[in-house]
This record gives sequence, structure tokens and C-alpha cells, in this order.
Amino acid sequence: MRKSFYVAAFALGVASLGSEAQAQDCTIKVGAALPTSVDWGRPIAEVAQFAVDQVNDAGGAAGCQIEMVLRDTQVDPKVGVDAAKALVDLEGVNVLLGAVSSGVSMPILNSVTVPGGVMQMSCCSSSTAFTKLAADGKTNGLWYRTFATTAVQSAMGAKVAADQGWKTVAVLYKNDDWGQDMARLIEADFAAAGVTVTGSVAINDAQPSYRAEVTDALGGQPEALYLALYPTEGTSAVREWLSLGGTQNMILANSLKSDEFRENVGLQYLGNAFGTDTASPRVESADAFRAAYQERFGSEPNGPGLANSYDAAMITLLAMEAAGKDASGADIAAAVAKVTDPNGIPVSADTAGFTAAKSVLAGGGTVMYQGATGNVRFDANGDVSAPAVVWSFTDEGTQEVEYVSLEDVDAFIESLK
Amino acid sequence: MIGVISYLVFFTTVAAILSIAVLGLNLQWGNTGLFNGGVVASFGAGAYGTLILGGAPQESHFGGFGLAYPLALLGGMIFAGLLAWVVGVLTLRLRHDYLAIATFGVAVAFENVARNAIWLTGGAQGVRGFERPLRAELGDGFLYNLIFLVAVLIALWLVFLFLQRLTVSPFGRMLRAIREDETAARSLGKAPDRVRLTAFVTGSVIMGLSGGLYGTFYAFISPQDVLPILTFQIWAMLIVGGAGNNAGAIFGTFLIWGAWTFSGWALARFAPIEAQLYTGSIQFVLIGFVIVGMLLWRPQGLFPERLVVSQPGANRDKPQAEGLT
Repeated sequence: MRKSFYVAAFALGVASLGSEAQAQDCTIKVGAALPTSVDWGRPIAEVAQFAVDQVNDAGGAAGCQIEMVLRDTQVDPKVGVDAAKALVDLEGVNVLLGAVSSGVSMPILNSVTVPGGVMQMSCCSSSTAFTKLAADGKTNGLWYRTFATTAVQSAMGAKVAADQGWKTVAVLYKNDDWGQDMARLIEADFAAAGVTVTGSVAINDAQPSYRAEVTDALGGQPEALYLALYPTEGTSAVREWLSLGGTQNMILANSLKSDEFRENVGLQYLGNAFGTDTASPRVESADAFRAAYQERFGSEPNGPGLANSYDAAMITLLAMEAAGKDASGADIAAAVAKVTDPNGIPVSADTAGFTAAKSVLAGGGTVMYQGATGNVRFDANGDVSAPAVVWSFTDEGTQEVEYVSLEDVDAFIESLK
Repeated sequence: MIGVISYLVFFTTVAAILSIAVLGLNLQWGNTGLFNGGVVASFGAGAYGTLILGGAPQESHFGGFGLAYPLALLGGMIFAGLLAWVVGVLTLRLRHDYLAIATFGVAVAFENVARNAIWLTGGAQGVRGFERPLRAELGDGFLYNLIFLVAVLIALWLVFLFLQRLTVSPFGRMLRAIREDETAARSLGKAPDRVRLTAFVTGSVIMGLSGGLYGTFYAFISPQDVLPILTFQIWAMLIVGGAGNNAGAIFGTFLIWGAWTFSGWALARFAPIEAQLYTGSIQFVLIGFVIVGMLLWRPQGLFPERLVVSQPGANRDKPQAEGLT
């Protein structure tokens, strides 16, 4: 089965790119440790595989076809670390995509990738603990993440509240590392923007009812509600909120940019709901990801972490291309700067973009990857910043309300300090 | 080849750490008949205790006392024991399923405190600032893992010896007497409540040791490590290995943890490409099958308890009856 897949992939490579055929008799493995046994984790893995497929269509990276070896983390740190260790030791991967939860990514980083000199690129781990770890020099430059959104997200939330003239806001947040970070940042950012947070209530996963939490949040009689939740809990909480007479003025984190949430709550209640997200830059190629995704999966790329996962995979593969054949994990990690260079030649997030990047890199140039989450740019700690967008729900999906450029985002965040 | 050895060292380390926890549970359930549904509370107490005591100071949460590593590990074990003592005093009058529910509740409460008491435990982000001991001297490559494995195996061996001796001692006989018929034990002048508490606390301290080593190995602990799934995993290991048999407990741990990880590896390697996304779910189904099959066809476990006569003067190792539970 697997062999026939190789043969098929090989044949495809030969057929579509005859001139590069001689370079295709090798395979480089890329590791992925993602929670595929969880409902929201599977699409994240799917979209990473999608990026790998696109790169293989462009003739692979570093002269070889790419094979993504996917392991399930089960959102269990023990299982995730074991999977990562097996990928590094048994499959011999030099780069690892994952994990999603910070509580899984962190032990992988501590005990597998950093000791093993393997580059680790997470789509979705948001904990500020990684920034501190990197700043302490404990990640050896091997750690990156494409999840830009905690700081940008809360600042943009403050901007929405200020722009809409909402003076008091209640916050419901997912009770995990991401949600706790968000709640803390929102408290500070909203206060700096002159908006009072009347109450900040943690929402635990998988409760049958959130009446107590919602009642608690309603107690402060806020003009608006901020939701840092995932679709399932978000839907339950918002239903209770509305049924208890809560306001329809809502600010949504990007995790709620999902069709599931829109359909289950009902569009008629979301007329005054504004979401925030990181955005693609305003160039033609930026729609490439969206279009390609729709063609492949038949829906909009809405859901937590999809765009981030795609970019994580794409940047990793670009860096592998830039680092060349037989590069170590550290070489590839160092090459990330070459493919996310703000002064580089812009390339789009699709097969054509990858092909273009290959020729630029072959000529010794650098490229600026314009990805699904925007014009991705990493800082010294492996954290990313990007432009932002304010969006709202429509019949078909979402629409853009306002675009905030990277400069404006930085300026706004600066103004809050 | 180096990769395979490196992975096996890693695998054995984790399996040996979990074995220690399973041995702790074996003392409680296998020997004393205490249905502890809150294994993760003791495990987590050991891990959090060790990391908070042994870590570098942090501004974001309590702790970071920077104690020497053996002291930190000991502190974690003591913390696990203290927690077990409080829980034990409150709940050990309960029997069987009631005790299971009460201890399960304690474990869930422990996880929630770890998740929400940010000032104390770092909240959902977990405990930071812990360095693996001797990392500066040994680096953190293969050599470190090898030496760590040896240390863990020594700890496992000591716990195993301790429990083997305990089982054949008069105290071990008293534990089994209480397990089989508490009223009869009481009629012979034994104090079941105190003995049960002693066994519960001892087992929990052993689980705390396991948790401390676990936290040390990953240099990190977060609420995600102390979810109820871990209790389930440890129970599955004991049931498959054979409750009441220390060697069986260790064997069961290696077998279940091996199956847990090997199934993931095998599915990733051999499953057809279009099924790759579903291997995580398939794996859960397979593991469920193994445990259900075990309960149906060999409920006493792979290595059933071997009852021994522990009278002074008698041949201690001679099995008198097999397969009795």
C-alpha cells in the first residue's frame, strides 16, 4: 500500500516535473506530533499534510520528496513526548511539527528536540512560557511557532471595544494556558484602552452547563462580552448568555472563527459580534491559501489553528529547501530567517509560490513568505508577529470589517504600554 | 541503530517510572484491597512538590526554592504522603466503590487546584524554572538519558525489594487478612483502620516518587499531566499484569505502555496513507480491546497473585496456593 503510494507520488513527480525527475529518487521525512484523536486536531494535521502535498507537487524540498510521518499525541504529554522521541530516533527526522497544546510542546522541547538538536515548529502553542524559555537561551534557536495571536489578539480586542464605544466588558476565557494568558493580557490591554473589565470568568471544558459562570459574568452588567473560547464551549456559553438576557455586543477571539459556532449560535444573534484575527497581507498572492484550501476541502479554512498549521509546515519546508540537502535541525532552524526575510522576494503560499522560492533560493537570494496567517516574521525568541483583521459573520462565512497593517498593530500595542 | 537504542532507553525510562506508580497502586489495591481512584493526586503531588522545591525562583508563581535534588525529591514524596494521610483519614472508612469515587474526586480537585491556583502552581502553564539535576555536567544527550535510566531502575529495584519484603512479612499477611475479611482480622486483635491508612500512605509515597521522577525527566509538569487518563492507564497496567503480584505489576506496565506507544508507531508506519489521520482514534479502540479482552479471559492478570506462607521458620518463597485472589 505504502509502496504503491511512493510509486504513485514518484510517478506524479516525474510526470509533472520531468526536468527535476533525477532528483526525486530520495525521500526526506518530516515529523508531526499532533492530536489527531481530538476533533479539532485532525483538521490541523490535514492542513499540514496539504502543505506537504503542495511542496511535493512543486518537486519536493532539498532535492527530495517529503514524507510527513504523523503521530497522535492524544493531548497527553507522555504520549506526545514518546511520539516525538520515536520520530526523532526511529524515523530520523530533523524537524518536528507540533504539538498543539503547550503542555505537550513544552516537555517535547525540554526532553526531545533541544537535546536532540531537532528543529521544532508549533502551529498553536501559545504559552508565554516559551518566550521566557527562549529568552533564557534554553531553546538553542530550535523553537518556532506560528501562533501570533495572544498579544495581537487581546490588543485588537481592546481596539474593537474602544472603537465601538463599549465602556464595560465581561470576559469568558477557556481555562487552559492560552485562555489564562488571554485573560491576563485582556485585563491589562482593555484597562490601557480605557475599557473596564467587569468580570473575568474561566470556562472549563466539557461542562453540560455554564449557567453559573455566565451568571457570574452578567453580574457586572457589562455593555459587551469578550469570548476567548473554542467553538463547542463558546456555543454553550453564548446560548446561556443570550437566554439570560446578556448583550449581543460581542468580541470574539480567532478560535471562534468557525462555521460550527456561527451555525449553532445562529447568525441572527451575531449581528453585533466582531472577531479579531491575524491577517494576510494586502497582496494578490495572499488569497492563494484560501483558494487552494477551498478547492481541496470544499470549505473555508475556518477553525482553530488551520492557517497556523499550514504556515508552520510551509515555513519548515521552505527552510529545508533553503538549508539544502543533509542539513541538520540547527541548519534548518537557522535557515528560517532566509525564508521569512522582510526584504526578500515575496512568494505566495501554494505550489507556484514554492516553485518560485526554490529558484530564488537556488540563486542565493532570500524570500518573504506570504502565508495563510500573513506576512510571517519571527523574532529572536521564535515568536511571530503579523498584521491583524477585524471580521464579522455573514451568511457564507466571515467578512472583513477592518484591516490593520503590521505597523498599525505594532503602534497600537505600543500605545497600550 | 543508535536511534533504536536511544529510543529504547527513553521508552524504558518512562515505563520504569510508571512501574513505580503501579507498584504503589499494587500495595494499595493488590495487597490491601483499597480501590484508589485518585492515583494522579499522589503522582501529581510528588511531581509538583519536587519541581517547586527544586526549581529556580520564579516571579510568576510560588516556589523555586532551589533545594538540592535529593531533598526536592524527598520533599515531593513527603508532600504526596501528607496529602494521602489527610485524604486517608477522611475517606478510608469508605469501602470499595465509595472509596473509588471519593479518591477520584480528590484527584479531580487536585488537577483543578493545579490549573487555577496560578500563584501556587503556575496554572495551566505549568511549573517552570526546573533544571534536570547534573545537566551541566552530563549535557543532555544520550549519556544523560542513559544515566537517568540507571537511576530510575535503581529506584524501581529498591521499591520492588521493599514491597517484596513487605508482602512476605507479618505486616503483609495482615494486609491480606484485612483485604479478605476485615471483621475476622479485627476479631484477632488487629486494627484495620490504622493498617489501611499505613498502606494507603505508603503506596501514595511510592506514587509520589514516581511523579517526582516523571517531573524530573521532562523538567516540566502541568495540569495536563495529571488528568484522569493517567489513573486509568495505571489501573490498566496493574490489572493486565496481575493485581497482588509485584513482578506482574512491572511486567504489565511495560506491556501496556509498550502497546500504547508501539500501536501508535506501527499505525503511523503501516497504516494506509488515507487512514493516517484516524490512527489516533484506532489506537484508542485497540487499547480498549486489549483491556476488555483481558478482563473477560484472564481477570486475574498475566501473573496472578502467589499466596505465600509468611510464618517465621517456614520456607518463605514456597508457594502454597496459586491463582487465589
